[in-house]
Amino acid sequence: MIALAWRLARRELRGGIRSRFRGFRIFLACLALGTAAIAAVGSLSAAIETGLGTEARALLGGDVELRIHHRPASDEQRNWLAERGDLSEIIEVRAMARRVGGGKQRLVELKAVDELYPLVGRLEIRGGQTLSEALAPLAGTDRAVVAESRLEKLELSVGDRLALGDAEFRIAGIIAREPDRVTRGIQLGPRVIITRAGLDRTALLKPGSLSQYLYRIVLPADAGTAPFIEALGEAFPDAAWRVRDPARAAPGLIRFVDRLTLFLTLVGLSALLIGGVGVGNAVHAFLTQRRPTIATLKCLGAPAGLVLRVYLLQVMGLAVIGVAGGLIVGAASPLIAAPLLSDLLPVSLTAGVYPGPLLLAAGFGILTTLVFSLGPLMLARDVPAAALFRQTVAGTRLKLRWLDMGGLAALTLSLMLLTVLSARDKPLAIWFVAGASVAFLAFRLAGALVMWLSRTAPRAKRPRLRLAIANLHRPGTPTPSVVLSLGLGITVLVAIMMIERNLGNRIQEAVTEEAPSFFFIDIQPDQVEPFEALAASFPEAGPVQRVPMLRARITAIAGVSTADMTPPPHFAWVTRGDRGITWSATPPRRGSKVVEGEWWPADYSGRPLISFDKAAADAFGVGIGDIMTFNILGREISAEIGNLREIDWATLGMNFMVIFSPGVLEGAPQINVATLRIPRDRELALETAVTEAFPNVSAIRVREILADVTRIMTSIDTAMKAIAAIAIVAGILVLSGAIAAGRRQRIYDAVILKTLGATRADVLGAYLIEFALLGLATAGIAAAAGSLAAWAVTTHLMHLDWTFTPAAMVWTTAICVLATMGFGVLGAWRALGQKAAPLLRND
Amino acid sequence: MQTPVTTPNATSLPIVELAGLELTLSSGAGKVHILRGIDVEIGAGEQVALVGASGAGKSSMMMVIGGLENATQGEVRVAGHDLTGMNEDELALFRRGNVGIVFQSFHLVPTMTALENVAVPLEFAGHADAFGLAQKELEAVGLGHRLEHYPGQLSGGEQQRVALARAFVTEPRLLLADEPTGNLDGDTGQQIIELIFRLSQEKGTTLLLITHDPALASRCARELRIADGRIVGDETRR
Repeated sequence: MIALAWRLARRELRGGIRSRFRGFRIFLACLALGTAAIAAVGSLSAAIETGLGTEARALLGGDVELRIHHRPASDEQRNWLAERGDLSEIIEVRAMARRVGGGKQRLVELKAVDELYPLVGRLEIRGGQTLSEALAPLAGTDRAVVAESRLEKLELSVGDRLALGDAEFRIAGIIAREPDRVTRGIQLGPRVIITRAGLDRTALLKPGSLSQYLYRIVLPADAGTAPFIEALGEAFPDAAWRVRDPARAAPGLIRFVDRLTLFLTLVGLSALLIGGVGVGNAVHAFLTQRRPTIATLKCLGAPAGLVLRVYLLQVMGLAVIGVAGGLIVGAASPLIAAPLLSDLLPVSLTAGVYPGPLLLAAGFGILTTLVFSLGPLMLARDVPAAALFRQTVAGTRLKLRWLDMGGLAALTLSLMLLTVLSARDKPLAIWFVAGASVAFLAFRLAGALVMWLSRTAPRAKRPRLRLAIANLHRPGTPTPSVVLSLGLGITVLVAIMMIERNLGNRIQEAVTEEAPSFFFIDIQPDQVEPFEALAASFPEAGPVQRVPMLRARITAIAGVSTADMTPPPHFAWVTRGDRGITWSATPPRRGSKVVEGEWWPADYSGRPLISFDKAAADAFGVGIGDIMTFNILGREISAEIGNLREIDWATLGMNFMVIFSPGVLEGAPQINVATLRIPRDRELALETAVTEAFPNVSAIRVREILADVTRIMTSIDTAMKAIAAIAIVAGILVLSGAIAAGRRQRIYDAVILKTLGATRADVLGAYLIEFALLGLATAGIAAAAGSLAAWAVTTHLMHLDWTFTPAAMVWTTAICVLATMGFGVLGAWRALGQKAAPLLRND
Repeated sequence: MQTPVTTPNATSLPIVELAGLELTLSSGAGKVHILRGIDVEIGAGEQVALVGASGAGKSSMMMVIGGLENATQGEVRVAGHDLTGMNEDELALFRRGNVGIVFQSFHLVPTMTALENVAVPLEFAGHADAFGLAQKELEAVGLGHRLEHYPGQLSGGEQQRVALARAFVTEPRLLLADEPTGNLDGDTGQQIIELIFRLSQEKGTTLLLITHDPALASRCARELRIADGRIVGDETRR
């Protein structure tokens, strides 16, 4: 039977693929676009992960890395490590770099290395000198190598001198490649590498300074990483270090790539689903055209099943071509993207063909084709032989059988399952599937609503308007397809634009109303008074807001060790490493408010109490009276939760998750953090004065951080808009397809209307009004849906205040109306110029 | 809304005047001479049958008279209007109120209901009560119960009656009917013919009827015979 079906299908194709499948250009484009997006995202992600795998040891800088905050490992720990492999010690600290002889300074990410650095990989310096050559002191002066980015603000170049703390360094070279440059948190300045001895001469390391000690070990070839880590845990069970192996060389990057991959895959899938509407339309139009052939085949004895197979083979044959086109683009994407992404990613993309993501993309493409084309195929199967003898084939209404509907439901379910099972973040994928299903249903209903409204609207007096409104609900109208496909695309765009505007507004508000000009960190206790005196010498500066700070790690919550806990993903950071904590007699003045329990009296001196973040307390299931244990510089301290605060992390103030009651931490090594607001034109003067008086104090300019945040947001925003564009392109493809499918009908209608006295202006006017109304209705629905989505994301996911931004709606509505009118009239243009006689004569 | 071309007082004028009419069309095989010099006049209120073999040029002559095809040579005056040199839109404006056309294949707009199909020429002509008049016309052809049906939901005879209602609703001065019964069975065709003659008489419409059927042609007072693009016979019956 299959052989016969194949033979019949081939005979149909023999008649000329181009002429028979003209409507399938959109079909192929829709499939290729969606499949290419999914395949490209998957292939890129695989290429990054392969690159990460290959370079993991270099990224980590060894087989194992231990990281400790603020203090070095003990001699006992260091000896234990050194006995088991090659050991390298690195210290990272933020510091102010000053131009010697000039008044310029800036924050840098300082890295002090020993002679073994890097244990794995190679640090490349422009000009080809080695790191040890570059860092070797010259004529008694320490030397440094620097990353070029943003150092130009200091107007420094190779050979110039810069001051760090109490020491001076001569710039020996520019870093071309740092093997372990994977970002750790926010980078506030360019990288500067010096020797360990050089760091000692800077005198930047004070008790409690915000520094990190990294210990990298290369193990002997026969020693496994896992047994080493196990032995380490047994030898030092209470050590406050974070241990990483090559599998977790860049957990932040892996998480970021994972999230981005899933997000982009879902967007690709959205484009594929929107394109699916175009696939369904093309198949439907093709099969309507083939009805006489189907009826003839049936007259000659073809069973229904054979008819289904003949056309299924043809449709799937074309689907394979479309999917293959998408896969070729997807497979080539790592090759194309490698040079573009080389500056953005800390690893090189490993170019190659990744079969896994390609197979997944092909699966999505084929399943989508089946879901959207099987309905029309099943209806075509049921075209009666008698249709051939009826004048009004269109009058034969066909309905899907229950079994067919069951089959379609099963296929749809398979598509949903593939989406969820192939995603690493299953809950997000489930949300996407649910959201996509609701959106599809909602836009189908919206399409029906538009048709119903146009059907029941009072008859317009002007014929162009009446014809236009009537066209919205006539048989074969593109209304449902356009509302569904273009509507979904526009919804994504509106939502993204509104979220972006809200975020932008929030940042703007923070800058204008609350933001300090500077954060000063690492102020030593003995520097507090002179620092405040210096600040006071700037009369235009606002009051200094200062808090003491030290680092602590939560080790137990309500008697349960955090090592045995699996916190909710969004709160994993709470127990992941050291956090900044403070103490205070009085509640914070801004940025948080006590929502449960009472703040302790100002003169409180009882048992240790803490004020804890309400959201974190909820996530860990603790409340007032529960005990939390902290490891503070190696000492365990337990305290009872005295009150809970709701913290607004979005304010640019000093917010702390944990605040201790007085009398507990005062004696511990600590630093002070201060904020200050000063007019912009005095920022440089204050920064210079502070840096010269207190070389160890780092000044962070809030304006620069905000500029960085804005730059990152703009990049993300551009990427998101580019992604939304894919969905809109899919929508426009469907729009063009739906209009192209009705082109013959429009030409015929236009000829008859002209025969009855309509001018070309009448016909064009009716089309313009029709497509403007369709665009307006689609944009209206999409703007409402997009606003709703943006509101939900902004208020529930991002926990930000919501501001309705009509500008985004106006823009997208205008785009939608213009796109619909433009593509609509373009598609119907031929109808205007068609001469009446040839069509009437040949009919 | 553009106003239709005004019809001059034509009582003393022939409604159709063709002088030296030639029509040449291009095809893949080269130029084809369809009409080769036709001189004919048809007076207002006449009922004329146009007969001839397939390919003789009947439909082409009708297309030229209806302003659906431009003559290559010669003069074409219909209802007092010189059609030569008119552009597409001027021809459309001319047809409003002057010419009604009925085709063998009905040529209804399939996406419009029967009522909309009949109302649409009135709408273009700017009639205030297009739908009221259309409904009356459909009732007059016996389709008052099919107003909201789409062509695909009507039988062939019903579709042709809709087409007739559409052609007559503007009360044109000239009705062009191209094999109006060609796609219908005998009885239905007979009903349609009766309707055409009745309505054209009632409304005083000049009728130019293309047919292969000698019996039908004989019902017209005048018979024009066309062969190879030329008028070869012009017979008037008493």
